[in-house]
Amino acid sequence: MTDVSSLRPLATVLVSAVAIAPILASRGRPNLRESWTMLAALATFGLSASMVPGVLAGDTYVTDFGTFLPGVESGSVAFALQADALGLLFALLASALWVITSLYSIGYMRGLDEDSQTRYFAAFAGSVSAAVGVALADNLVVLFVFYELLTVATYPLVTHDQTDEARAAGRKYLAYTFGGGVAVLAGTLIVVWLTGTADFTAGGIAALAESDPAMARLAFTLLVTGFGVKAALMPMHSWLPDAMVAPTPVSGLLHAVAVVKSGVFGIARVVLDVFGPETVSDLGMGLPLAVVAAFTIVVASIIALRQDNLKRRLAFSTVSQLSYIVLGLALLEPRALAGGLLHIPAHAFMKLTLFFCAGAIHVETHTDDISEMAGIGKRMPGTMIAFGIASLGMAGIPLVAGFVSKWYLLIGSVQAGGVVFAGALLVSGVLNVAYFWPIVYQAFFESEDAVGSKPLIENPFGGRDAPVPDGGRNADDEPAGATDGVADPDEGEYAVDRNPSDHVVEHSASKRAESPDAAHADEDAESDRAVPDDADHNGPYEPEHYDHVADDEDAPEHHHAGPPAGGWERRALSSETTWFMLGPILTAATGAVVLGIVPDRVAFLRLVEIVVAGATGVTL
Amino acid sequence: MTDLVPIAVALPIVASVVALLAGLVRSRSGWYVALVGSVAQVALTAELARRVVADGAIRYVVGNFSVPYGIELVIDGLSATMIVLVAVTALGVLAYARRAGPRSNPFYGAYLLLVGGLTGMSITGDLFNLYVFLEITGLATYVLVGSEEGGRSAVAALRYLLVGTVGASLFLLGIGYAYVATGTLNMADLAAVIGEDVGYTATLIRASFAFVVVGLFVKVAVFPLHTWQPEAYASAPDSVSALISALVSTVSAYALIRVIYTVFTVDFLEANPLAADLLAAAAAVSVVAGSVLAVAQSEVKRMLAYSSVAQFGLVVAAASLANETAMIGAFVHLVGHAMMKGSLFLAAGVVATATGARTVDEYDGLGERLPVGAGALAVLALAMVGVPPTLGFVGKWYIALGAVETGSWALLAVIVSSTLLTLAYFARLIERIFFREYAAPAGETGVAPDDADVPGDADVVADGNGLPADGNGVSTDDGDAPLREDVSFGMYAVVVVAALLAVTLGAAVFEYAQFVQPTVTRLLS
Amino acid sequence: MIDAFAPRYLYLVTFLLLGIGTYMMIGNRNLVKKVIGMNLFQTGIFLFFIAAAYVEGASPAVLTREAPHVSPLPHVLILTAIVVGVSLTAVALGLIVRIYADYGTLDADVLWEVRHDD
Repeated sequence: MTDVSSLRPLATVLVSAVAIAPILASRGRPNLRESWTMLAALATFGLSASMVPGVLAGDTYVTDFGTFLPGVESGSVAFALQADALGLLFALLASALWVITSLYSIGYMRGLDEDSQTRYFAAFAGSVSAAVGVALADNLVVLFVFYELLTVATYPLVTHDQTDEARAAGRKYLAYTFGGGVAVLAGTLIVVWLTGTADFTAGGIAALAESDPAMARLAFTLLVTGFGVKAALMPMHSWLPDAMVAPTPVSGLLHAVAVVKSGVFGIARVVLDVFGPETVSDLGMGLPLAVVAAFTIVVASIIALRQDNLKRRLAFSTVSQLSYIVLGLALLEPRALAGGLLHIPAHAFMKLTLFFCAGAIHVETHTDDISEMAGIGKRMPGTMIAFGIASLGMAGIPLVAGFVSKWYLLIGSVQAGGVVFAGALLVSGVLNVAYFWPIVYQAFFESEDAVGSKPLIENPFGGRDAPVPDGGRNADDEPAGATDGVADPDEGEYAVDRNPSDHVVEHSASKRAESPDAAHADEDAESDRAVPDDADHNGPYEPEHYDHVADDEDAPEHHHAGPPAGGWERRALSSETTWFMLGPILTAATGAVVLGIVPDRVAFLRLVEIVVAGATGVTL
Repeated sequence: MTDLVPIAVALPIVASVVALLAGLVRSRSGWYVALVGSVAQVALTAELARRVVADGAIRYVVGNFSVPYGIELVIDGLSATMIVLVAVTALGVLAYARRAGPRSNPFYGAYLLLVGGLTGMSITGDLFNLYVFLEITGLATYVLVGSEEGGRSAVAALRYLLVGTVGASLFLLGIGYAYVATGTLNMADLAAVIGEDVGYTATLIRASFAFVVVGLFVKVAVFPLHTWQPEAYASAPDSVSALISALVSTVSAYALIRVIYTVFTVDFLEANPLAADLLAAAAAVSVVAGSVLAVAQSEVKRMLAYSSVAQFGLVVAAASLANETAMIGAFVHLVGHAMMKGSLFLAAGVVATATGARTVDEYDGLGERLPVGAGALAVLALAMVGVPPTLGFVGKWYIALGAVETGSWALLAVIVSSTLLTLAYFARLIERIFFREYAAPAGETGVAPDDADVPGDADVVADGNGLPADGNGVSTDDGDAPLREDVSFGMYAVVVVAALLAVTLGAAVFEYAQFVQPTVTRLLS
Repeated sequence: MIDAFAPRYLYLVTFLLLGIGTYMMIGNRNLVKKVIGMNLFQTGIFLFFIAAAYVEGASPAVLTREAPHVSPLPHVLILTAIVVGVSLTAVALGLIVRIYADYGTLDADVLWEVRHDD
């Protein structure tokens, strides 16, 4: 490992930050503005890719600005960036996917004619800059700096819709992530106090191994809790489903890749480069973390089963999948580490595909709810095929990216003696099939008028007081009885799930006053619903169809969710949506497949091998 | 050439008199006198600071009396920081005040007197002299707070005067005890006599400490002695709010640190652990209570005022730790807070001048209407929250590291979670500015989205003063000003430059820490 | 008890004055009386200094008088403090004039109500 002094890490971070200025300046000219975004994305990707050969050869690129903050006594904390294998893994991933997402954003934002697009693209560039900064940070303090900046830069994206739901989600997001930031700050201070430094050292900071174990445990707990907020470890996950109110590209890149993985990445740095696997093992902190992760894997998968809003289901799937990575790190076994780290890119490609598909469906048909997607394979064949491939990968079926990482994870967990954890992984695989397969199945093999019932979504927990699946018109008394059975108000999707078009009705109530035509259209929309509406507008849970409320307000004509009257029209692959959206979807899906078929040809696996070798001394 | 030292105090005071006299010849000449005075003051203090960097602390005895009897002026690293801060902030606010007013010559007279008083407080080495400068500062502040049109500011100023005088009198009483016990008033001499002859646990010394600290707590506005502060900041003209929020409490906090550590010394705190504990407790309560009260405010300037209560809690917390890192942090935070809070008040003033918005509710959709002002306000707010790598974060890092070093875990918890407390009130503002639509008040038509010249009538009613007699909102003393003045380039420039500095100066803190390190070491030895 | 305090009766007077001053500032509704309370409060502290300077049987601190003199320094200090106090009173009364011009009252309670009706 040789350190190479270079400005490239700095440039990689700064390119997208600098791009904010021209993006803001060309606010009146969308094409020019998006050119800046693309230019910045390609430059960021190019710069990080240019460092791959060197890092694979064992070099580390370092940009050092000298002392930033004092440490204890003679120690000090430098403001420095470094591109080592682990950092480059994340930076490369974030910048590569930003290129794809930028294209997709153009199609998505223009397709919906969203407001404040300039702010959106500027904040997006800022978020990527901060995420790359997290990746390339040289020590815990610099990592914290970018971690907090990432929170600030993402906040405008979460609140983008400017609806009450979006603002509430934004507040929750800030409260959770800044709360996590406070824990990280406290943990960092203790580490600096114990060791006089915060520099990442492969295999852990030596002084930490000899310091007071109680203090070291406290620091570890604080750091992992703080990073765990963004990594959506339960019970600190609940900001993530709420943040799905953001535009889909944001959910895709930031809330499945950059932001959440910055939390996971933080945990990875803490485990591998601050404490080191051995010290973590000596402190006995690996097992509790693994238990939390395994719990999150299983419980989040179960909750995902009951989400009818596609993006919320994907969000809970993200919560679950992120914990795969954390579990891999917590088991402290070389192969589990490799599996966990490899799952960072694998999950990124697959989940990005899934989110892109959800966004494409939203833009083209304004449908967000799974219960309204029966037969949508006719309308959007390419999208749903990509969705199917990515779902297979999430479940860990071979030949798609998720298989390779899960394989390593399983072997690692068995080697670590954690049969329970291997069991959790397998159960989660089954649950993945259970919550993804129905979407794919109904898209291709059911039609909008002949849809099977979905007992998991429609029925209350425990199966008592099951409502009649066809709903009927006696809706006034039915929800009251049904909501009594809801055990978990936090997952308040219940009334909504059963009444998927509440939002249309609620929203149209305001439109009705001003436009008789709109009212008429609403009634049409309601009457041709396969799953009936009911009148439970005063239900205890607000509907969560954020995107809908927002773009209904923006768009001149009134959209409604679900299939149009007369069913989905059949479209060819080339005309189902714009290439701005289909292109990124297919690219991301291809990436997922390539990672699954030839993992050793892609830089990620080799970077992971270097990281594991550096941290544990084991060559895979 | 140490003769420059007394000039640093004399110059603003002389300029103050000149401003008053010039008003007899030509009204509205005050700003120019103040400009010349402030520029000269900046140059002078910069030169003094340069000498301190080069040669170490400067001591000057007024009128050639021998030291324990004559008044001594001392400029070390910390007092140099303060006098430069005072001079630069005053100049910055002046750039803002040119258009925003108040414009009368007496105003600028009081303005310069305040600068002189604060400079004197910073460099004096004599306890009674500190009292005199404290009162000069107080007098000038009362006058400045009352310089807004209408009764609200007069009531606030009178209240400030009564409470402030009690505070200063308690401080004087504390000095009296110290004098009775030691027979001297020179700070260095006092420290020596207390240490050698009187002893740290003598009742007189303890009583003196208590009175001095409580008296200065009033001036610093530590909870629950802050009652004068929110109304004074909220009702004063925007330029004055900025100036006094940036400087008066700051220099008072400096005086507190100076008196505790130079006069009573660390040994006193060691001999009386209860005193240190009470300081820390007061600080922690101030942080929490100030933040909670800030969240409850509907008027933006009052919110900013309560925020100061919380932030000075942090400074006092740092001071109570008696740790070098924390002490450097206290000064970084003093300077950082002065810059950020002063600019936040100026930014609030820009917003009020351009749109008439003074309450949190009225800030809806400000990002669309006033992008530059709102952007600067947001950046300053985030810096205040302590988002890294801003100045606010760096100061907090030093203080928190000091708390870790001394093992003060409870205080550490308060310090790091103050981020969340600060976020609670600023996030509310930011959300309204950028993520809510602007709903035009009834009677107001056709608001240009990003234009400053919103029609005035509807807004003036909503103006913070809210008095029928005060219909002109931001009118000047002369009363012939237009209804709504445009925001001048100078007003924007000050706010934007301050926002940029708040973000970038964090990088320079380590250098600054090297510079004050020897002074702090001596202070705490 | 009396023996302990008799030589220090000036200190008792000091704290009596401080107490009366504080009470007047808090208890009186009239703004002018509040300012008078403030003056009393300060006077208490002035007295404290002068009392501290007193030496039994000594002559005033004037050079032409015979030694021993009372301690001159507190006298000088208090001279300064009195000047400060006068200036404060002047500013306070100036503000009160403005308050009266604006609100037509000097009653703190009425003032409070008027201000909250705005």
